[in-house]
Amino acid sequence: MVNVTAETGSQQEKTINMSPFAIARRKFLRNKLAMISTFFLFAIIIVSFLAPYITTQDIAKVNIGSMSLEPGGEHFLGTDKSGRDVFTRLLYGGRVSLLVGISCTALVILFGTLIGSMAGYYGGIVDSVLMRFTDFILNFPFLVFVIVLNTILFGLVSGLWVLIGVISLLYWGGVARIVRSKILAEKENEYILAAVSIGCKPSKVIIKHLLPNVLSTIIVQATILFASLLVIESALGFLGIGVPQTIPSWGNMLSSSQEADVLRNKPWIWMPPAIILTVTILAINFIGEGLKDAFNPKSNR
Amino acid sequence: MLKYTIRRLIGMIPMLLLISIVVFLLAKAMPGDSLSGEIDPTNTDPQYIEQMRERLGYNDPLPVQYFNWAKDFVQGDFGTSTRYKMPVSELIAQRLPNTIFLGVSSLVITYILAFGMGIFAGRRPYTIGDHIIGGLNYLGLAIPSFIAAVFAIYFFSFNLGWIPYSGSVDIQIEKGTLDYWISRLHHVLMPAIVLGALSTASYTQFLRNDIIENSRKDFVRTARAKGTPTSKIYNVHILRNSIIPLITFLGFDIATIISGAIITETIFTYPGIGQLFLNSVGNQDYPTMMAITMLLSLLTLVGNLVADILYGVVDPRIRLD
Repeated sequence: MVNVTAETGSQQEKTINMSPFAIARRKFLRNKLAMISTFFLFAIIIVSFLAPYITTQDIAKVNIGSMSLEPGGEHFLGTDKSGRDVFTRLLYGGRVSLLVGISCTALVILFGTLIGSMAGYYGGIVDSVLMRFTDFILNFPFLVFVIVLNTILFGLVSGLWVLIGVISLLYWGGVARIVRSKILAEKENEYILAAVSIGCKPSKVIIKHLLPNVLSTIIVQATILFASLLVIESALGFLGIGVPQTIPSWGNMLSSSQEADVLRNKPWIWMPPAIILTVTILAINFIGEGLKDAFNPKSNR
Repeated sequence: MLKYTIRRLIGMIPMLLLISIVVFLLAKAMPGDSLSGEIDPTNTDPQYIEQMRERLGYNDPLPVQYFNWAKDFVQGDFGTSTRYKMPVSELIAQRLPNTIFLGVSSLVITYILAFGMGIFAGRRPYTIGDHIIGGLNYLGLAIPSFIAAVFAIYFFSFNLGWIPYSGSVDIQIEKGTLDYWISRLHHVLMPAIVLGALSTASYTQFLRNDIIENSRKDFVRTARAKGTPTSKIYNVHILRNSIIPLITFLGFDIATIISGAIITETIFTYPGIGQLFLNSVGNQDYPTMMAITMLLSLLTLVGNLVADILYGVVDPRIRLD
């Protein structure tokens, strides 16, 4: 991977004798905002996934004796209307929200890259058919169809994976288009012609030669996707049609703010998930900006 | 140009057909009988139910059912809402003006804010004002609209009491008077700002960058050399060139507003199409759900078409044929 990129790199980069990825890494490590965001994001992920070891409270137990308690004392962030500890639910909720976000991002990138690279590499009929299909998917109003599909599949498959499957199935169109256009430009290079002429199979040309060269675009796309998928998960949860209500997620916790009483008088129930979600999304956006900047050969910071 | 438009319009037909088939199959796959609301719920005699099924055409093969549905749909008969017990077309006609009002207000607010901020930042790049606007944009892009909405209701409606938090108009006011329209504007303001925040941020960003780029071009240097006042250069020469690419955003805005309206209308309990859609899913009101899904799909298609055509109009270098 490094060899290929170094060969195609510009004259200036050769003189410094660093691969584009090494340059990008150095730029990224020097970007303070992006580095702080990265640490923050990893901290959130680790704390959320270690939730069972950090807190011993039972998330499902309804405790009538301690309903809607204000923050402080035994309950660090108070309790919700069913007497469940908000802090505990925040940790467990983060686990679910981040899991949905990460799995959807992975699946969307997988579908999009697969379709996009095939369409871009083969061209001709394969390209037309795959891109017509992509247009078809992109023409659906996304949120409307997620809601409808989610309602249909709700009882059939166990909760969380329905949502992940439905979102991934409907969201890959944009990635496919971007990957296709990048592959189209990249495959005109002579090293691809060389690889084909020595008898490389198409799958090998795509995976070994083309994809590494569009990887930077895919990585940047993945961070943007991660942020928007977190928003989608929580928006659906907020509307009460995302992750099943029995599983806490940041979106589900926020849905309690639809009750005027909770929204007006008990901000400790809905504010923590709202704030943590916003800060997480901001952090992911900063990382995305940092990556975009790092991969851009024109910027020199 | 005309040829391209007509070709694209014809190209929309198979897409619409495919979408309608998908919508129909999805409605069939929904839990429960899709039009069960038309049967008298108190009568549980199996024979009666069977008779009604036969009469309403539920025992026909799927393609026949699809054909009947599509035929009625094209003629404007969307079926009867099982929840509101009235024709879906009337129900939609009641709600649609509210959503259009919300969408248009949101676009107007977007344009006013984006032009103000974009022109300001573009004229003074890399100053404090520019950085503040840049930071605001960043927040606008990053904060999910429903969280912004929840905070807006909490602070502006509950704590400060400036803005009503639900409905589209004060029902005590007589229709048609000046107060009525002021009340409507008052109700739509907050949802419209929340709905427009995302596009405002991207418009501002685009306008700022384009103005900065244009201000380095030769025609600006020529204008300066012959002594044109700076404000005229920015407001006439540059702005005219920078607005043109913005027009193409309009098509995409339609799609953004559609998705945004579902969430925003629900939070502000604003009686529009988006809220109706969510309610119809929750209440298993399938005729309403199918009609709205088709309507929103059609609007998204038209939005994408408008965006593509405007691209060609604005930039003749893009070859359309």
